[in-house]
Parts: sequence; C-alpha cells; structure tokens
Amino acid sequence: MSFNGDYSDAVPPEYSSEETLAAIAPEDRERTLVTAARRGDEAAAREIYRSCRGPILSLIVSLVGDPLQAQDILQVVFFKAFRGLPGFRFRSSLLTWIYRIARNECRNHLKRCGVPALPLDDILGSRYEADGPCGPDAGCARAEAVKRAVRQLPFKMREVIVLRYQQDLSYDEMSRVLRCPQGTVASRLNRALTELGSRLHPDGGRR
Amino acid sequence: MSLRCLVLRRRFLPYQEGGLGPGQAGRLEKHLTGCADCADRMARLRAGHEAGRLFGRLAPDLPGRLPELADLRGSRPPARALSPALAAGALLAVAAGLAMIFVITGPGAARAGRGFARTTIAEFPERLRGRVVTEGFVQDVYYDGEERTLHIKLAEGPSEAGPFVICEVRDASGLTIPQRGSRIRVYGQARFDAQPGRGWHEVNPVMEIAVLNR
Repeated sequence: MSFNGDYSDAVPPEYSSEETLAAIAPEDRERTLVTAARRGDEAAAREIYRSCRGPILSLIVSLVGDPLQAQDILQVVFFKAFRGLPGFRFRSSLLTWIYRIARNECRNHLKRCGVPALPLDDILGSRYEADGPCGPDAGCARAEAVKRAVRQLPFKMREVIVLRYQQDLSYDEMSRVLRCPQGTVASRLNRALTELGSRLHPDGGRR
Repeated sequence: MSLRCLVLRRRFLPYQEGGLGPGQAGRLEKHLTGCADCADRMARLRAGHEAGRLFGRLAPDLPGRLPELADLRGSRPPARALSPALAAGALLAVAAGLAMIFVITGPGAARAGRGFARTTIAEFPERLRGRVVTEGFVQDVYYDGEERTLHIKLAEGPSEAGPFVICEVRDASGLTIPQRGSRIRVYGQARFDAQPGRGWHEVNPVMEIAVLNR
C-alpha cells in the first residue's frame, strides 16, 4: 500500500452560512448539515434539531400519550441521534433515521412503564359520537374518540397508523423506520385499521 | 373463508387508498357483493382508514412551546414523568451535552477506559485483538477513493522509523482529517493484517479520533 495517495475526496462540502445553505438542493443541504454537525459546528446541530424536533415530538406524543414524558424522551432521542451522527450513512433521510431512534425509544419507554399514559376519560370509558359530523377540531367528540381509540391500540398497530396518517410517511419510509419489508408494513397497517374500525364501530361500521 | 377471500383481502387497503386499477377494483367490488365476511371486514377497514385520515389532520397534544436545543442541554427533566432509568439517561444527556455531539473533534477523553484498552504502538504485537485506544503521530495519510476508506499511518514519533500501526477509517465523511505530524488518539479494534506484502498491525475499524495537537 502506498501512502502518497490523494485524499482530497475525503473532505466533505463546507457548511458556511444560511445563504449558502439556502442555495443548495435539500439532499445536499442535509448532507452538508450533518457533515458540519459531525465536525462540531453548533449552528448546524441547532439547525438539524430545529427542523426535526416538531415531527419527532408529535410522533413521541402520539406513541406514549403524555406530552411531559414526550419531552423527556425527545431529549434522550436527540442525545442518541447526535451521539450516533458519525454512524449515519445517508441510506435514508436524516428525519427517517431519527424517527427510528424515536420509535425505539418510545417502545423501550413503554416496556419499562407498561402502558401509554391515558387521560381519565379513556380510563372511565366516556361515551363518544363516532358518527357525528366532524372536522379537524380537537374539541369534536368524534375526533376525541378517534384519538382515544388510536391511543388504546397495541403499540405495533398504533405506530403504523401514526407513521402513515400523522407523519405522512410512504410505505418505503415506514419500512425503513420499522426495519421490515413494505409488504409487512402494509399487512400490519391493514390489521391496525381493521382493528381501529372495529373499536370505533363495534357493529361493523356499515353504512 | 376461501383462498380467494384471503387473496382479495390483501387488496382491501390498496383499494381504500385508490391504488388498484379499474379491473382489480371491479373484481373486488363484485366479490364484496357476494361475500358477507369480506364485506364486513372491508367496512371495518374503511372505518379505520377514515379514522386514520381524521387522526392525521388532528393536531397532536404538543406542549405549548417546542423546546430549544439549549433547553435540552440546560433543563432538568420533570421528575414526575420520569422512570428512574429514563431520568438517569436524560440527566446523562444533559451532562454530556455538546461534548458528545462533537465527539470526533473533541479530546475524546470520555471514551477512554470504557472498554478500550490503553495500548502503546510498541505494545501492539502483544494485543492482536480487542478494542484499544492508542496515541501517536500521524506519519502519513491516504484516502482510498474506491473503497472510500481513510488510512492513517501512526507511529511513536513524527518522522522516525520504528513500530507503527495503520488506522483504517471506514466512513471518513465528516471526519476532520488529521494532518501529518499531528498527534492523535485513536479508538478502535486492534487487528493484524497478515496479507502478503503487509504484515502490520491495524486499528480497524477506527471508531473515534481525537486530535491532541496539530
């Protein structure tokens, strides 16, 4: 082996300023940010955190049920993400990679704590209007019923519904987060939706 | 339930999502008119799919303000919501803070003694395997563009002949390339490369590099 080789290829693109970032393609931008964060650029780390915290926190809240616990888990997730950043290989988007860390952290948290935190209404089993008119309004009875039903699903069912409908992930992205084939994702989602429909409409849901 | 039912049920979700062609959708609809079990299952799936779409439009119960990165480093996690194990992890996260984020270019002291045996370059013949941490001067650096690996020749001194190890970094992206003559600390797996023409000790793969002086 010779040690006179040119290693200029190893030098990653430079991250310099917001203006530079805005001018480059999203994939390159992400690569540049990650590379800069690995080098110790705090502004890049802050930008990664700022762009990912919203979807990650909403995923965690939906999986564990309690916003306060979710904030603690968010802390652990980003700690692990930044610690593991040198090992990120760009095989998926950074957000998909952090989704996976968050999903695993939620699963581990629920294993330790038993069950997701449920509001009192869920425990007491309040009535709901599953067929009433409703929009995306958190106060609507049907919306509350749907949220409650999703919260009460087993973790594996809940996570596919949250990833698909709330986080709007494709089957390909879901298979990366869940580390299983797309066919498995589809059949798991099929079962989850059937179960969700059965819980909301014990009579069978026919109209 | 017939085999036909089993096969067609796999198409229920694509049907709900509008992913079936007109022919497949037509055959499925025809089957549903004659199979009460499948029609019932499809009705439940449809109800679940519509509930899922509604769920996706609902705002999650997020806290009023999204935490900033500084909040994560500086705040104490609320004790009420934490299990002891999670609390310990979260506090560790705060304590470690940026030092762990910037692990590649930092002093690297945090990893020393945690499963990595301190080994001088001269001691490598006595340690053919296992995780090691070693220090030395960079005598040469070579980047293999085809393999995308970075090789660093590390020796006891900046230029003199003598024992050396080859440190192989398998993913060099994002790494601050150490300059020739700089002193570095390397964490990784000790190996011996017995291939013809080589016969040298290695740290491969390198897990972490700390630049001690440039």
